[in-house]
Amino acid sequence: MRPILECQRLTKKYGNFYALSDLTFSLDRGQIVGLLGPNGSGKTTLIKLAAGLLVPTDGHIMINGLAPCTDTKKIVSYLPDRNFLNEHMRVRELLSFYKDFYENFSTERACKMLDSLEIDRHMQLQSLSKGTKEKVQLALVMSRVADLYILDEPIGGVDPAARDYILRTILTNYDENASILISTHLISDIENVLDRVIFLKSGQLALNASVDEIRTQYGKSVDVLFREVFKC
Amino acid sequence: MLGKLIKYDLRASAKIFILLHAAFLLVCAAARLLVMDRLDFHAPAETLIAPITVMLVLGTFLISALSLCTSLLITFRFYRNLFSREGYLSWTLPVSGTTHLWAKIISGYLLAALDMIIIYAGILLLVTGRNVTAAYQPVAPEMAEAIGMPLSSFGLCVFIFCVIGGISSVLLIYFSICVGQLFPAHRVLCAIAAYFITSFVIQIAVLVIMAALGMLDYGTGTDTLADEMFSLLVPNTIFALLLCIAQYAAVHYIMNKKINLI
Repeated sequence: MRPILECQRLTKKYGNFYALSDLTFSLDRGQIVGLLGPNGSGKTTLIKLAAGLLVPTDGHIMINGLAPCTDTKKIVSYLPDRNFLNEHMRVRELLSFYKDFYENFSTERACKMLDSLEIDRHMQLQSLSKGTKEKVQLALVMSRVADLYILDEPIGGVDPAARDYILRTILTNYDENASILISTHLISDIENVLDRVIFLKSGQLALNASVDEIRTQYGKSVDVLFREVFKC
Repeated sequence: MLGKLIKYDLRASAKIFILLHAAFLLVCAAARLLVMDRLDFHAPAETLIAPITVMLVLGTFLISALSLCTSLLITFRFYRNLFSREGYLSWTLPVSGTTHLWAKIISGYLLAALDMIIIYAGILLLVTGRNVTAAYQPVAPEMAEAIGMPLSSFGLCVFIFCVIGGISSVLLIYFSICVGQLFPAHRVLCAIAAYFITSFVIQIAVLVIMAALGMLDYGTGTDTLADEMFSLLVPNTIFALLLCIAQYAAVHYIMNKKINLI
């Protein structure tokens, strides 16, 4: 089976700055992968390249064997690190919007999640708090039956109780063949759900290993290893 | 997908657009009832000059403001939806850059054309009072002779040229924004610069081409206002449409190959 995500000598330059340099790795299906690294290590750049929001300077990035295109966007569910929805729309209008554009969007699943989070579907997005907006965004993204979920800082702006709910949601809403690429600084919060981690350092691959390998080989948790590798 | 994109584009701009244009039509209706219908064209000319001048100045200001607002509405929708944070959703929809572009062209042009239609409707509302048409009746043959056709036909022709030309103004906006986004650090500034530089270059190019083709030699064969207007409008419109093709090609290339949401 083809890897769900493949990078071959992937490079992205902003002016003279290399955000990613010569990055090569692949991700198999059915895994929850943590994309970890300090600020400016290239995590968001890699995610944006996979989502088709940036064009590589050099090398290739492939989703299910294809460069980012209309077909890959059908199977990738992407959560950016910022509010990306039209603030004038109501939550129920956003549900219709997602239903209109994504064949794999489950309104039922989204409604169930919104109800669990006690979010009123008639509310306008601009009248919701920052954390609630993030919950709405996550509910929409996780309500798609996608092959690859790319989540950029999904738990950064929500309270610890909601964080637990979100992580449970992530775990319960994806099927075995789907993969999740999740970028976060809150490693200890997500460590238990991860199958594999990728450490990025200055735009280059510092580590690509399964969580079990880290525990047996290094005898450490991912959080502790991260703090050692990226010690300032 | 194209239809859905157009639907959401129009829905996003509808509220402000309807509000502005309804207000314009209301002002026109009020001006007709309170000013135009009360004008006595048999009165001495001195008493007519002041109200007509005020109406002309206010009308011109209002129409310019309305057109500007519509252009800004089209501009903001394109920029916000594709190049600001909303772009993170738009560009991850399973829709190609070309489909996005056509959706924006169609929705933007629909708004621009509707804006022109409403402006012309407002003008008609102002000048079709019985007193105005009765006052115009005696001078109508003279006017028709000077213009080269009845005033109503002339107005209709100018309106058609404006509606056709509207597509070029929409594409110029999109072209400028797309050029601006090639400079991520100064997107807005570069888009504004691209707009003014492109407009300036187009004006100069039109003048040079028309001068080279001898179209600026007034009074050498053309007698009526209509002849002179059409001798300018026809090449201008053709040039504008050719320019549209070039701008479309450039925007198409940028939207398919150079999208970088940093």
